[in-house]
Amino acid sequence: MSPSKLRVVIAREYLERVRSRWFLFVTIFGPILFGALLFVPPWLTSRSQASADLARIVVLDATGVGLGARVAAELNGGLTGDTSLTQVRAVAPADLAAAETAATREALAKRTRGFLVLDASTLAGQSARYVGGNATAGPDMGRLERTVRDAVVAMRLERAGLDPVASASIASMRLRLDAQRLTDRGLGGSARVSIYLAFTVALLLYMSIMLYGQSVLRGVIEEKQTRVAEVVVASVSPSTLLAGKVLGIGAVGLTQMAIWIGTGIALARVRAPILEHFGVRGAPTQLPEVSLGTGALVLAFFLLGYLFYAALFAAVGSTVSNEHDAQQAQMPITLLLVGTIIFLSPILASPESALAYAFAWFPFSSPIVMPLRMSVVDLPALDIAASLAILLSACYVALWFAGRVYRVGLLMYGKRATVREMLHWVRVAR
Amino acid sequence: MPEFAVEIDRVVKRYVGHVAVRELSLRIPTGTVYGLLGPNGAGKTTTIRMLLDIIAPDEGTIRLLGVPNTTPGITDRTGYLPEERGLYRRMQVRRVLRFLAELHGVPRRVADRRIDEWLERLGLRDAERDWGGAKVDELSRGMQQKVQFIGALLHDPDLVILDEPFSGLDPINAQTLLDIVVQLKHAGKTVLFSTHIMDNAERLCDAVCIIARGEKVLDGAVPEVKARHGGRHVSVELASPRDGCVAEVLGDRTLVRRVTDVNRTMEIELAPEGSSRVLLQRLVLGGADIRRFELVQPSLHRIFLDEVGANGAEEGFGVSE
Repeated sequence: MSPSKLRVVIAREYLERVRSRWFLFVTIFGPILFGALLFVPPWLTSRSQASADLARIVVLDATGVGLGARVAAELNGGLTGDTSLTQVRAVAPADLAAAETAATREALAKRTRGFLVLDASTLAGQSARYVGGNATAGPDMGRLERTVRDAVVAMRLERAGLDPVASASIASMRLRLDAQRLTDRGLGGSARVSIYLAFTVALLLYMSIMLYGQSVLRGVIEEKQTRVAEVVVASVSPSTLLAGKVLGIGAVGLTQMAIWIGTGIALARVRAPILEHFGVRGAPTQLPEVSLGTGALVLAFFLLGYLFYAALFAAVGSTVSNEHDAQQAQMPITLLLVGTIIFLSPILASPESALAYAFAWFPFSSPIVMPLRMSVVDLPALDIAASLAILLSACYVALWFAGRVYRVGLLMYGKRATVREMLHWVRVAR
Repeated sequence: MPEFAVEIDRVVKRYVGHVAVRELSLRIPTGTVYGLLGPNGAGKTTTIRMLLDIIAPDEGTIRLLGVPNTTPGITDRTGYLPEERGLYRRMQVRRVLRFLAELHGVPRRVADRRIDEWLERLGLRDAERDWGGAKVDELSRGMQQKVQFIGALLHDPDLVILDEPFSGLDPINAQTLLDIVVQLKHAGKTVLFSTHIMDNAERLCDAVCIIARGEKVLDGAVPEVKARHGGRHVSVELASPRDGCVAEVLGDRTLVRRVTDVNRTMEIELAPEGSSRVLLQRLVLGGADIRRFELVQPSLHRIFLDEVGANGAEEGFGVSE
């Protein structure tokens, strides 16, 4: 294998792709999507919280103790609020059905957004009912539920003899659970963030391996289809061409990921100020703390996983002569990748189960599953090393196999090769 | 420079179920234009691919430019135009050519200069339009073939191998190609091309090898080959349309093996036991009005038909008369 020729092949694969409009589109579109994920949800939430006419409802109070008035006051911003939006109707339990019919009519006529029913079971702390067009709006219902609950708690505290101010403050108490991960090296940061990170990393790995693996497949088919392969292998060996293609496309992937991760971190840093500028108070983004060692390991898993799958995709690509056949021929490989994604959730739920171990060692899934496990539980170094070693050996076998299939398949045209034919090629290739 | 640019020694290539090339040996003197002739499926492309080490022979040895064809770097001195042509469709012409040149070890600056020269020479670049900046996709088929041809020559190879270079070319482009082959020869290069268009082979080749069904049928310098097949062919031109008497003479299978009618001129191949003297005598006695009676050397076309028709007809393109 001549290094200077390998360099020429790598340069062509890399530059032709980086120069293409497709690369430009995906590279720019990625950060836009990422930015949208960072900015749009808080903005939407802030908008839905601002739905001030949540209070434009009818409260049917069948409790007989004035719970409705309390709820109305809370809904409109406490004791000092203007309660004119909310109509509180005290009804006897027996008349509730008739009152509901009337309230339904009003809601249908859009005079109110809906109606809230408070009765004895509400007072008992069991349930309240809401009927309205916005019954599926999560933030609205959350707010209503909290308001009713707070009002009931406050009322019962008062009945138990507590003064109104103290009961109001106890009732509106909010408690947040901040879960932190404990690892052997100490506190490992927020548990929620590390789960997000694990998922993001796994999905990113899956997407990149799929994207660039298939890019290798298409590249191989293009060379076969346009018959340019023969000119090229007349001056470089097929293994050089294959290696150049895999490495060149891998470099494209790294470039793209570097751009994405770079802009992602930058965007996360400036997110809070930008949101504030638009009048939205978002929680500052917690950037997960990733040590250099973990980063290097994730990179290693990505590179090996890419190499492994790229080799398989290349082998498949060289056995077919057109894109249509390629769709079918690549199915088994694609299924292995997709299958891994299906098992991500169970593995995440119990990262030390036998299933998780199996997936983290099996070379078809380890490049995606191992980084996932690594970011949620602390794994012994031996565990990681074993997984890497298996993947590395699998890479070697896959590249060897792909090289031999590729060498013969590259100049074969016509019907797609069967598995038996492929095995024959592996035997006859030099 | 070694005496022979190509030396093939008892090369065999087998595929499942058939032998593509059997015991083929040939030598191509340096600085000559050599034609590898044969019907479709004769093993020409397989032979060429083995020459370039794209596929390996099962038996036998191949030497190019004096060294084994597996020697690293030897491909930098050979140029190849495959039968199935193609380029990266979405790539710019200049970049494709630069890529092919760099693959053969030509530095970028030298490559760029040569690319411009070649594009101008083949009419792909002038004051009005520079096709070098276009994508391969935007070029017509003929232009793409020219670009591919440039790609095979950019690194100034000593040995140029062209597999069916004339297929799909219009007469004007074919002439351009012929001119370039002649120029390559004058520059001391060796050109090997395969074809089944005998006319071009006849005009270009110093020597030929005809193969059929993977086997060599004959080879040698063109005059030699013709001389070997000469003396058996007569060209006869009659002043009047031929009558029954002439037909009777020509129908005598002990005298005449085959007659090819070309308008009023007839190409006659004598039977093994027949002679031109007897033929002339019989025609004159039969009252034929002969305007011209000439002993001729057979064309490569004729020799090809005779030889392949005798040896490889069933697998060739149905040579039957």
